Amino acid sequence: MYSLSWLILFLPMAGFLGLAWFGRYIPRSVGGWFACATVGGAFVVTLLQLVQLYAENPADRLNHVLTLYPWIVSEGFSLNVSILVDPLSVFMLLVVTGVGFLIHVYSIGYMHDDPEYLRFFSYMNLFIFAMSLLVLAADFFFLIVGWALVGLASYLLIGFWTDKKSAVLAARKAFVMNVIGDVGMVIAAFMIFEHFGTLNYVEVFKAAPTTFSSNDDGILLITFLLLVGAFAKSAQIPLHTWLPDAMEGPTPVSALIHAATMVTAGVYLIARCNALYMMAPFTMYLIAAVGLLTALFAGSIAMVQYDIKRVIAYSTMSQIGFMFLAVGVGVFSVAMFHLMTHAFFKALLFLGAGSVIHGMAGEQDIRKMGGLRFVMPVTFITFLIAALALSGFPLTAGFFSKEEIIMNAYHAEFGNFVYWGLAVIAVGMTGFYTFRMFFYTFMGNTRSPELRPHESPRVMTAPLMVLAGLSLAGGFLGPWTHDFLSPVFGGAVPVHHEDAMLEIIAVSAALGGIVVAVAIYMTGKGQLAFVKQMLAPLYELLFNKYFFDEIYDFLIVKPVKGIGQFMEERAEKGGIDFSVDEIGRQVREVSRGISMWQSGKVRMYALNMVAGMVTILLFVIFL
Amino acid sequence: MGSEFVLFVSATVFSIGALGFVIRKNPLVMFMSVELMLNAVNFLLVGYSSFLNSLDGQIFALIIMTVAAAEVVVGLAIILTIFRTRHELDVDHINILKG
Repeated sequence: MYSLSWLILFLPMAGFLGLAWFGRYIPRSVGGWFACATVGGAFVVTLLQLVQLYAENPADRLNHVLTLYPWIVSEGFSLNVSILVDPLSVFMLLVVTGVGFLIHVYSIGYMHDDPEYLRFFSYMNLFIFAMSLLVLAADFFFLIVGWALVGLASYLLIGFWTDKKSAVLAARKAFVMNVIGDVGMVIAAFMIFEHFGTLNYVEVFKAAPTTFSSNDDGILLITFLLLVGAFAKSAQIPLHTWLPDAMEGPTPVSALIHAATMVTAGVYLIARCNALYMMAPFTMYLIAAVGLLTALFAGSIAMVQYDIKRVIAYSTMSQIGFMFLAVGVGVFSVAMFHLMTHAFFKALLFLGAGSVIHGMAGEQDIRKMGGLRFVMPVTFITFLIAALALSGFPLTAGFFSKEEIIMNAYHAEFGNFVYWGLAVIAVGMTGFYTFRMFFYTFMGNTRSPELRPHESPRVMTAPLMVLAGLSLAGGFLGPWTHDFLSPVFGGAVPVHHEDAMLEIIAVSAALGGIVVAVAIYMTGKGQLAFVKQMLAPLYELLFNKYFFDEIYDFLIVKPVKGIGQFMEERAEKGGIDFSVDEIGRQVREVSRGISMWQSGKVRMYALNMVAGMVTILLFVIFL
Repeated sequence: MGSEFVLFVSATVFSIGALGFVIRKNPLVMFMSVELMLNAVNFLLVGYSSFLNSLDGQIFALIIMTVAAAEVVVGLAIILTIFRTRHELDVDHINILKG
């Protein structure tokens, strides 16, 4: 059944091309369900792969490479179009196609009134294809192809509403930031080829321990360059500025691409290359440090934002920071576990936010919401579940995965006490901002009755309920995840329960965040104003996102624009334009002189011919 | 009759043709001048063919006559059309292709 795995790529691609080519000839509803069916089909095929993997011994589950056909064959380099089926890729694909399918179904309701409904679905299918290619690639080449294609799909979907200027600018920003990462990846691939002579995962990872010794310059540089790609795609500091802006796209896009799947590709990349990263402990420290920094940084910004989608976007950055912390301390399967639970509850949060926005006629400011718990009961309950899972409330999915990360931040190979402490602070922030947003949106009295908020249709609430179930129960998949992924990461993750104290502190930090949010936002406005006044400078800093955009504008955009202007005035107008114009002008002058000969007088032509003939004859005879 | 004679006649007829082509303004007469030039060449080819005891020259002459006939058909048609549209036949006035 491994031979069927190409269908995972083929079905979404067929959906994309079918809708792109024939979309205008088929009814909207058929097209929408067709798009869902292709992703659902890919999910079923992925399940078949899972069954097939289970039919084998754990040790035999690795490295099933399905070669479709040889693509480049030349001296010293050959490249096959091939697919790698192993526990890691199947695990990732289950998340991508499973959550992707639910979000496709949800989009049928959310995008129902959009005039370009089918264009949206064709882009969504393109994204699923690109992401599957990224995950299923058996070598660094197709990894980069998939990597760039998800960037393209993300660009197209962020800028989906092409008449909205902010969306188009956000799409461009996301693309540019991602290309910075792509450049890093491509250089890394060149270096890998230089050192190993191949791009094939299996061969590279096998040869890595003999080619390099730990912390060699080469391996450090390769891992660092791969990391640039991972940082850009996963919105880690300093390449994070595109993610909050990406919220300009339709909400299902934010849920699918900018929360559940694409932004976690960086985590997947590091997990996939664990054989390389385990040999570069310096890079591992960098990953953990950047992950933690992002978790704190994004969490603190999320505490003061008012756009419901931006709050969730910063929360996504923060949670991916946790995943980077997990891979940075060397517990890859814990990171993958958090990736999965995060996909569940963050997709649910985004879809819930989408349901709210849908019901509020496009309003995204949480200050104008409130009291929605009565009018949107399903959204309210599912959003509450997602919020609890995100903040790590005991026995929800987020609780298990986050608790494992925090405990491993202290106990794992590269872990230490500082990581643990900072992670606990970030957990406290998570609880606070999640419930701040929750209270603003659903509790209290409605602040905009004129918008007539209403519950969303069944096609939107059904995926919410499924995801809510997964957000509640997903945590119990932890042991299965570690067991299933252990062949890929060379052994099981040790479970740490020996320090009950550390665990209790972590849980109480999460609960503490929630309690503070309750205290401030449930007990009237007075205290809120008081706190705001006291922390005004800090609030200003956070509200402006640490002025990152302004700093980039000053350091990079302005100088580049200046250089561009200089080049336009001097090199372009004075040099290139001038020389091109001058060539044209001179040619015109010369040809005007020559065209005098073409007088239109036939007898003159004849005379010239005779004269020429005579001249040639004289030459022939006398010379 | 020596080969100088053939050369002399041929050169004379050719020159008359060339001169006629250059100085006359009526396209019909110019056409006749072209025929003169072609015939001068034909005369030379046939004459030398007999001096050299080779049939090649005569074959060439036949081919040239064929081509000349075809050319006259096209040329006369063009001249006729021009006359019909412009009601005059002066090559100096037919200069719309002037650069």
